[in-house]
Amino acid sequence: MTAVLLVLLPALGSASVLGLRRRARAVGAAAVGSAVATLAVALVAAWAEPELAWRWSDTLELGVAVDGFARVMVVLIPVVAAPVLAYAAATVDEGRTRLLALLLGFVAAMELLVVASDLLTLLIAWELIGAFSWALIGYGWRERANSAAAAQAFITTRIGDLGLYVAAGMTFAATGGLGYDDLAAVDGGRQDVLAAALLLAVAAKSAQLPFSPWLFSAMAGPTPVSALLHSATLVSAGAYLLIRVAPALEPTGWFLPAVAGVGMVTALAGGVTAVLQSQAKRVLAASTSAQYGLMFVAVGAGSTAAAGAQLVTHAVFKSLLFLGAGVAIHAAGSGDLGDMRLGRVVPRVAGFSLVGAAALAAIPPLGAASSKQAIGAAAAHSSTWLLLGVLVAGALSVTYAFRYQLLAFGRGPTDDDRIRDRVDAQPTTSERWSLGVLAAITIALSALWFPGSGEVLERVTDGELYEAPLWEFGVTLGLTAAVTAGVLWAWRTGRLNTSAPQGAVAVAADWYGLARLSRVTVVDPTLALSRGLARIDDRVVDAGVRGVERLTRTLSRLAWGRAEWSLDALVRGLAGAVGLGARGTRVADERSVDGAVRALAALTVKGAGASRTADDRVVDGAVEGSAWLVGVGGHASRKLQTGQAHHYYAIVAVGFVVAAAVLLAMSS
Amino acid sequence: MLTFAIFLPIVAAAVFALLPRRLRSQVEVGPPQEDPWASRLRLIASVIGVVPLVVLLGAWARFDGDGGFELVESSEWIPTLGVGYRVGVDGLSLPLALMTAVLFAVAIAYPVDLRGRPGPYYALMLFLEGVSVGLFLSLDLFLFFVFWDVSLVGMYFLIGVWGHGDARRSALKFFVYTFAGSLALLLAILGLYLATEPRTFDMAEIIRQQPLPAGGVYATLVFLGFLIGFGVKTPIVPFHTWLPPAHVDAPGPASAVLAGVLLKMGTYGFVRILMSMQPETFARFAFPIGVLAVVSIVYGSLVAMAQTNLKRLIAYTSVNHMGYVMLGLAAAGASIAGQDDAQALALTGATLEMVAHGLITGALFLVSGSILARGETYEMEAYGGLAARAPALTGITVVAAFASLGLPGLAGFVAEFQVFAGTLAVYPWLAGVGLLGIVITAALFLRMLQQVFLGPLPERWTGWPDLGWIERLTLGALIALIIAIGVAPALLLDMIDSFAGPFVGR
Repeated sequence: MTAVLLVLLPALGSASVLGLRRRARAVGAAAVGSAVATLAVALVAAWAEPELAWRWSDTLELGVAVDGFARVMVVLIPVVAAPVLAYAAATVDEGRTRLLALLLGFVAAMELLVVASDLLTLLIAWELIGAFSWALIGYGWRERANSAAAAQAFITTRIGDLGLYVAAGMTFAATGGLGYDDLAAVDGGRQDVLAAALLLAVAAKSAQLPFSPWLFSAMAGPTPVSALLHSATLVSAGAYLLIRVAPALEPTGWFLPAVAGVGMVTALAGGVTAVLQSQAKRVLAASTSAQYGLMFVAVGAGSTAAAGAQLVTHAVFKSLLFLGAGVAIHAAGSGDLGDMRLGRVVPRVAGFSLVGAAALAAIPPLGAASSKQAIGAAAAHSSTWLLLGVLVAGALSVTYAFRYQLLAFGRGPTDDDRIRDRVDAQPTTSERWSLGVLAAITIALSALWFPGSGEVLERVTDGELYEAPLWEFGVTLGLTAAVTAGVLWAWRTGRLNTSAPQGAVAVAADWYGLARLSRVTVVDPTLALSRGLARIDDRVVDAGVRGVERLTRTLSRLAWGRAEWSLDALVRGLAGAVGLGARGTRVADERSVDGAVRALAALTVKGAGASRTADDRVVDGAVEGSAWLVGVGGHASRKLQTGQAHHYYAIVAVGFVVAAAVLLAMSS
Repeated sequence: MLTFAIFLPIVAAAVFALLPRRLRSQVEVGPPQEDPWASRLRLIASVIGVVPLVVLLGAWARFDGDGGFELVESSEWIPTLGVGYRVGVDGLSLPLALMTAVLFAVAIAYPVDLRGRPGPYYALMLFLEGVSVGLFLSLDLFLFFVFWDVSLVGMYFLIGVWGHGDARRSALKFFVYTFAGSLALLLAILGLYLATEPRTFDMAEIIRQQPLPAGGVYATLVFLGFLIGFGVKTPIVPFHTWLPPAHVDAPGPASAVLAGVLLKMGTYGFVRILMSMQPETFARFAFPIGVLAVVSIVYGSLVAMAQTNLKRLIAYTSVNHMGYVMLGLAAAGASIAGQDDAQALALTGATLEMVAHGLITGALFLVSGSILARGETYEMEAYGGLAARAPALTGITVVAAFASLGLPGLAGFVAEFQVFAGTLAVYPWLAGVGLLGIVITAALFLRMLQQVFLGPLPERWTGWPDLGWIERLTLGALIALIIAIGVAPALLLDMIDSFAGPFVGR
């Protein structure tokens, strides 16, 4: 029951928001209220671990179970959603109802995703969150650019969804089931296909390379959407699925190294992109890809527990950072980091954002530092190269975290007009509350450093944490301190680059031109192919049909009289044939009927005579009647000689059917 | 009971056909919607149109689903030829007949430009309803063929008289092309008939006899006849070029019926006749048919993406969706050991796709009829930003479009998932390529929504009226069914499984 409520409560909340659309205040309260109610249910569910199945057919059943890492996720989703919904209710005026309803609908779908216990249920939720993402990115639908960005995000992630279709098909073919439990039983070639398909699905959803650019398009959505979907929850689906299924796929030798490789490359490349980007939300989006890359590294290195910890801490601090960015963009009137420096304008929000930035930079004692540490330990356990990569990625994240914080919320000049003039730049109380709650949770997650928290983590993720060597801890701390000092120095000396990047840097800041590359190599050729095929379809495929038509028409024009004559002949011939057939039948019929009559004649000759007459009339009449009909049809058809091929064709066809029917009748 | 569902609309059609053009002559001008005579006729026709649905629901209530034909009604017709009037249902025909009845009930009630001839229009629609239901219920090849052919005639007149644009020509092309297909079908039926011993058109008897074992020129020729006959109607690429012009020029409800019901006659024929009566021959050709299906999927969706005309776009997605059906059928009919579950899954999916596509594409074609009635063109460039003026129209179209691109929670997904999950076990490569269709349809429907409903609202559409109550009611019913099947398909899947399971020998 609680499992149903997890999905049903936000869905009902969504419906009630739509129902309340005329009452602005009630809408926000209903939205936040249903998120809080979902949280309460989630806490119960995480403890009670309910299971449920919804039957489709004898073969297919949708399974739902709050177990494993799902116990954490069911709670995490409403925890992030509630403050984001409050923020959305406070900041968005136009179309608030639609936004809140869609966000709640998304929460319902996301809850379904994390409680799914088989691939079919997972696929359903997986595609549903994609559809909600489409509607939310394209929230400002009056601008074509937004809808286009939404479409790009949906289509890119849908390419990944194909992976889940294939994975489901492979699992079903091998085991006859679709449950997560069945994955381990897939073997042979199917095992490789299954692993590759799942890698495709999770990489696309978690915005890993080469799919990362879709997350930039997703930034076309309003800030709450970025905070909830495109940092904390929707993108986490990929990492979440990995945490659930990676152990079952371990026997596929290449799978875990491939996961680690994809994650490592994304973490490094995304880190560079984030460092170079000048748009506030895009810095955060690139860092999202990079941070999920680190989770992939953790899974690849064999520690789903470290990945799970990072997923949780990231979800909270990244939505905090996004909400802060929303305030900054509103206050600055632009999304460009060069226009901000709002430390003196919105000091309290700057403080909250600093908490988020410190977490992103993995500054102890925040929980995010602990999870980053766990990833480093796992990488060290796996290979030195991986550890080196994680260290570089960590240094990059320190750089972009503080660069972002300083540029957005660093102290600007004291005579900034915005301090006095732009009262409307100030966030409302509920905005501050939303940020405060998320900041508080970020700090509270410092509990991850407590002894004993590791075991809890291992239990809820069914994974393993590795012990980090002390020197690795020291190196990480030293590196973090050094990079932090470097960024501060650059800020003090005015060397932090704020201008929009140019040339090669601009390419790197925009995901290395991947979006353009995919447009040139995939999208444009597909569109060209589609246009070409459409032309071929009109001109060539149909040409055969039209050619026959034209040919006949030309022929009939060339030999009009002959055509007339030949058609007549055909009809006459047909009529003659039918008539002949009729006579033939009559002879045959008379004979057999005579036979019967002769037998009957023993009883009454008169009756026999009468019956013969009747028979003659009926059978004969029918057959000769049809011959007459064909004849009449022939005359009528002459009138139909319009020179159009299909007319002839239809007439011949009708004649053919009649002839066939008659011949059939005779053969019996 | 079933007979009543078939012949009530046909008899009513005869009455409608004899009605005068108008009872009261004073209404000579004005849009047809305001013509009281026409709206009265529509009301009567709508009520009659619902009756078969009610009857079929009753049949569903009495349906056991223990395999084989049920509720059979039969009588002698031409006993010397083995022709009989035989109707009945099983897990394959009942869902299709139900879908047909739903779609006709909606299409008849849907407002349309009657061109001042309400009587003949409703007569033809009712006639087609009876004929289509009859086709799915008939258990006799001869009866099947009769229904098959007269359905062409009815649709020919619907397009030719109430169509727009180059309607006559499109209607003729439709008629002649599909009629060529039915000639092939007729020859194949005769070929099959001549192989039976004793000679009979009784489907159940032919399925029992299996008169044509695989191999030999004769069996292959009969197979090819069926393949062309059903393939044209379905349509499978390259036999599809009659479809776009017929759809573009047909009135909205006729398009809905054409795509929703008439195309299903082809795929239904594949299962009911070809795969049931020549299973071995079908298994031999299953792979090439699967290839054709994948070509239909990818080619249909690619060509659809390039269309600028709303109705042509939807028409080509029908080619794509019929490709999904054929792919599922190819997988189900293949001879492969040890994958009975997967083959049953593919067959169930293909059958459900026929139902789902009928409802979804029916809704899309009705919507495009409403758009034409308001905007007088199908060219998508002419539109934009309609969401601002018509939230109901937009919402319904978005749901229907997402259903068509296979979004979970809606009917199309349940079908497509089963088709692909089943086919991946039988023909993994074909299914893998076919999956591309899912991405392409997503792209093309999003482009369509973007172009027509999103973006800035052009000046000329500032007075655009949203859907009227009849449109809301009828489309709402279709959407409700699409969601219901998407969320809780158990009832429907059980019904189909009662056919699919035994069919693949599970």
